[in-house]
Parts: sequence; structure tokens; C-alpha cells
Amino acid sequence: MFDRFDIFFVQQLINGFSVGLVYALVAIGFTLIFGVLNVVNFAHGEIYMIGAYAGLLAIIFLAPPWVALLLLVLAAGIAAGIALERAAFKPFRRFRDEASLKSKAMRESTLLSSLAISIVVRETVEKIFGADMQAIPRAYADAMQEPISLGELAIASGQIAILAAAVVMFASLQWILKRTDIGLCIRAVAANPLGAQYVGVHVDRTVIATFAIGSGMGAVAGLLIGLYQGTIFPAMGFAPGVKAFVAMVMGGLNSIPGAVICAIVLGLAEAVATEFFGQGWADLVAYVFLVLTLVFFPTGLFGAGRERV
Amino acid sequence: MTTTRRSLLAATAMVPFAAQHARAQPRRILIGYQLPLTGEFSQYGERFRNSALMALEAFNRAGRLPVPVEIVFEDTRSDPREAVAVARKFVDNREIVAVLGDFSSSASIQAGRVYAEVGMPQLSQTASHPDFVKISPWQFRNITTQAYEGPRVAEWMRENGVRRVAVVAIQNDWGQSVVSNFAEAFRAGGGEVVATQFFNPGNREFRAILTEIARARPDAIYIGMFYEDGAAFLQQRRQLNIRIPVYATSSLYEPKLVELAGAGAEGIFLSTTFMSTSPEPHVRAFVEEYRRRFGSEPNMFSAQAFDAVNILLEAIVRAWPEVTRARVREELAKTRDFPGVTGVTTFDPETREPAKTLARMRIENGQFVLLR
Repeated sequence: MFDRFDIFFVQQLINGFSVGLVYALVAIGFTLIFGVLNVVNFAHGEIYMIGAYAGLLAIIFLAPPWVALLLLVLAAGIAAGIALERAAFKPFRRFRDEASLKSKAMRESTLLSSLAISIVVRETVEKIFGADMQAIPRAYADAMQEPISLGELAIASGQIAILAAAVVMFASLQWILKRTDIGLCIRAVAANPLGAQYVGVHVDRTVIATFAIGSGMGAVAGLLIGLYQGTIFPAMGFAPGVKAFVAMVMGGLNSIPGAVICAIVLGLAEAVATEFFGQGWADLVAYVFLVLTLVFFPTGLFGAGRERV
Repeated sequence: MTTTRRSLLAATAMVPFAAQHARAQPRRILIGYQLPLTGEFSQYGERFRNSALMALEAFNRAGRLPVPVEIVFEDTRSDPREAVAVARKFVDNREIVAVLGDFSSSASIQAGRVYAEVGMPQLSQTASHPDFVKISPWQFRNITTQAYEGPRVAEWMRENGVRRVAVVAIQNDWGQSVVSNFAEAFRAGGGEVVATQFFNPGNREFRAILTEIARARPDAIYIGMFYEDGAAFLQQRRQLNIRIPVYATSSLYEPKLVELAGAGAEGIFLSTTFMSTSPEPHVRAFVEEYRRRFGSEPNMFSAQAFDAVNILLEAIVRAWPEVTRARVREELAKTRDFPGVTGVTTFDPETREPAKTLARMRIENGQFVLLR
């Protein structure tokens, strides 16, 4: 098998790394929301899709410069996230008594409400725009799809953009969490929602802020990845959502650095797997990882620490 | 379910007592057409009906038979259960001598079982599943399958000097048939298939596959997929700077491919039976009239239905004056060199599979260009 360590193997690693970054971009917002609420937000994939569509509409009707485009999409994501929180999560935090706050059933009913919202949103977009892939104006698509040759290796401009976006998002999230008041509140609610409430943290506001941050990042990820892959369609959030979920579980459910590392490992493993068996089987890699993690590391690879988020 | 009857000639009124003839002749000839007019496939049924009306009107206007031919359209939503219900309705109507449709292979096959039992000729414009024509000698289709297309693409590649080829196809029944039919013919011609890759439906990440293929250093890549997957594949091939020529199945003949893939689609080879920009006069006439009457561009589906109706009408003309279900079947099986808008069509009298001329195309400067 050592004859496989050639230039193509290196190319395969680059491919895998960029796939991993795509998963990581989705996993960051996903894990942030899980960390705070302790519940999976099934509508995250739809936020990602909304980001892509919002960006596409902006491109078609306004053709804004890149910075304005990203800010617009960020705003759309924040708005969508707040609306999602209001529709699917807030109603289940109505009861303030201790039993309800501790109740698993209350929390887990948001699994279904977020799933319901995600279906409604996806079907609505499908009714309006159709289920097929949208054509992207060439100027913007080309900016993300330009090939760049490095000797025998090849990368695309979009891969660099996604790497940059991942670094910026990860760093700014760490800065928000560690250096700002709202970050302190988020960490407090994540660690102990009841305790945080007792010491005067405004839990509702913190949850809304978490959704705004996580969804804004999800929307930007959706646009960047949609442009880079050239695939904007209503169900686009599903596949990366599943992989981001696996990365989150592997990383220990509430560790953002853990999820990012696991997302990249997952991407690399999928690409390298293609070396040994058909690509049709590469999806299996994610599920094998998931099962192995659950069996041997029930708390995840990076989930042992006490600090959440 | 809706029933639409179109009597397109006032001629019906003019031959009310045709019974005076020595042999009792019908006052009209009825054809059934089962197709999806509602539901998720209604866009296709709409095209079929448009084309059928166009073909029928021209036929009746030409006055090739002393009695008019009419088509009864029945909506099945292309649902196999509805298709069976409609099939029963059609066979119970003694006036109906032949049936067109259905749209999907599964609906066509379920309806086909009913037609096989009773003995009703059935001609589907789109059912491409291998099992469809195997139901009984009553089933026909005028769409080619991979068993026909694969060997022709293999031959085309050989002519272009391709010796080593990599194949990529979608992981489903159809994708499997793309690979097996092509690979068999290509190997038989002395070529070598150096890599075969299947991808799961819904997957849009092809970089790993492309890298793996590039390592095998083939002379060409053959892809069997639909245009959305194809667009992602071609784009990523360009990003990875892989300059191996690509041949594609006719399923990629879709103007949106160029829109989605942009520069990535340049130089792709593909074959097709219908080309709306064809310079041939009868294709141009069809395209122009379709555009004028329905305000939209005809595609492969419109053309398939147009030819199916005309093939059946020709068979009825040949069967005249004894237009029975059995006679129409016999005459359908004799279809030879029918000059349709999707190419010259011949039915194999035994297998009832169509043979057609496949046009060769290449994408140049964002346009599908016919190669000669």
C-alpha cells in the first residue's frame, strides 16, 4: 500500500481537509447552540440553506461587494435564528418552575419543534424556488471556483476562502465567549442554566444571543459553501448537517474546538477511504466513527473537561 | 381523474352513416393516452399532451384516413395504482385500439400487465426500464436505453483513439446499467476500463473520486449521471485542473448544465436523440410550431411524445381498414426507419426495443454543438 503515498495521496489529503473545513463551518454554530441548550437544533441545516438563498437573492438583485454580501447574509442568518428561537424553542421555556426547567421532556420536545420548523421552511423554499439547483451568477461563482495550481497539486480559491472563514469564525467565537459579557452569560447558562438564573443572568436573552451568533455563522457558512460547490438547493443543509452532527458527537457534544478537530478528521478520513474502496462507501466512515465513539468514548474525544462551550 | 376528449375534425359530422360501406367501418378511431396531468410529474404530462395534440391535429388535417382519430387523455399522476385503474378503463372501452404512456417505468409496467392480459398494444414514450418490453409482446417503447447508448459511446471513444477509460456513475439501477453496458462494449472493442466509481445519490463532493481517477491516468472519463450532479462533477474537475476529456450520457443534455457548470462544461462530449437546435427541417418545423403554440421550448420529453404518437398513427394507417388491437400491434412491430424528430426509429420485431440514430454533440463556448 506504500505505493499509494504519491502526489495524488497528498491531493487527496487536501481534498479531505477542505471537506473537513466544510463540516467544521457547520459544526461550529451547531455545537454552540447544543452547548447552551443541551438539545440538538435540527433546523440548523435550514439556517445554512436560508443563508445561501439570502446571499443568492442579494447577488441577483443587488450584486453587492463581497463584504456587504457577507454582512447581509450574516444579518439574514441572525434574523432567521431569532425567529427560529421564537417559534420552536421559546414556547417550551414558558414554565419557570424548577421541575419544568429540569425536565428532560420539556427540553427534548424542542427536537420535534425544530424538526417541524425545518420541514416547513425547506418545503416553503421548494415551493417558491423549485427543488432544483439554482444557477449562480458567474462573477460570484467564478470567484470561489477558480483553480489554483501548486505544482502538481490543485486547490480552488473557494477552499482558501473557507479556510479563512473557519479561522475567523472560530477565533471570533472564542473571543466572544472569553472576552465579552454576553460570552460570559453564554458560558454560565451552558454550565448550569438554573445556577445562572439564580445569580441573575438573563437566560432568555442569552439563549436568543446564542441563536443569533450560531445562526449568523451558519448562514455565512451556507453561502460560502453553496458558492464554492456551486450547489444551492432546498435540501442542501441535510448532508453537511449530518456530518456536523457526527463531528459534534465525536468532539464530546459541547466542545467547539473538539467538534472542529473531529470535523477535519472526518473529512480527511472520508477522502482517504476513497483510496481503498468506492466513494459510495465513504459515507459509511462517518457512521463507523460515530458508533466507535459512542462505544469507546461515550463522552466524546474532547468531552471530558468540565468547561462547556 | 379528468377526461378530455378532443374531436379535432368536423369530419365526424360528415360521415355519420359510414355503415353503408360493404364492411362495417368505425366512425372514428380512438387511442388512449395515460399520463401525469397532476402531481409532481405534471410538467411532463403537460408536454406529452401538447405534443400529442400537435401530432394528432396535423394527422387529421392531412386526411390520411377517411375517419378521424381521437385521443382520450387520462391522468394517472404516474402513480402505479392509478395507472392500473386507468388501464382497466381503457381496455373496457372497446373503441380504444391502442394506448400511449405511461410516463415512469413503474407506472408503465403496472399498466402493462393489464394490457398484456387483455391484449392491448401499449407504446410508452419514456419507460426505459429493461423489464418494460419484457412483459409481453404488446409493449413497445421509442426511447433508447443504456443497452443501446453504451455501446455507441464506446464506439465513438474508440474512433477518437481512447484506449483507457474511467467510469463514474450514480449508485442506482440506472447508473449500474450505464456502467455495465458501456464497459462490456468498450472491453469487447479492446479497450481497458481502468477505474469504476459509483457515488451515492445526493452526493455533490467529487474531488476524492476525481483524484482517484486522475491517478489511473485514463484517456477519457465516461460519466453516467443527471445534470445537477454532472454540473458539480465538471466544476470540480476544472478546479482540480484535470484535463482528461469527458464523455457523458444523454441525460446531461440539458441547457441548465452549462448555466450551472460554467467553464467546467466546456469540451464535454455527449450523444442525444433530440436536439432542439438541429438544422434538420422537420425538427425545426416541430420546434417552431411547439414554441408558437405553447410558448415554451420543446425538450427531449416533448419530442419523445411527438414521435410516439406519430409512430402509432403510422401503424394505424398501415392497419387500415381492419383497425383492431391485434392488427395495430402487428403493424407497430413492423415500424422501420420512421423519420421522427428524435431520429430515425426502427423497432426490433422480436424484442420491441427501438434503434435510433444518435447525434453526437460537444459543448463549445457554452453551446451544445452538433458534431458531424
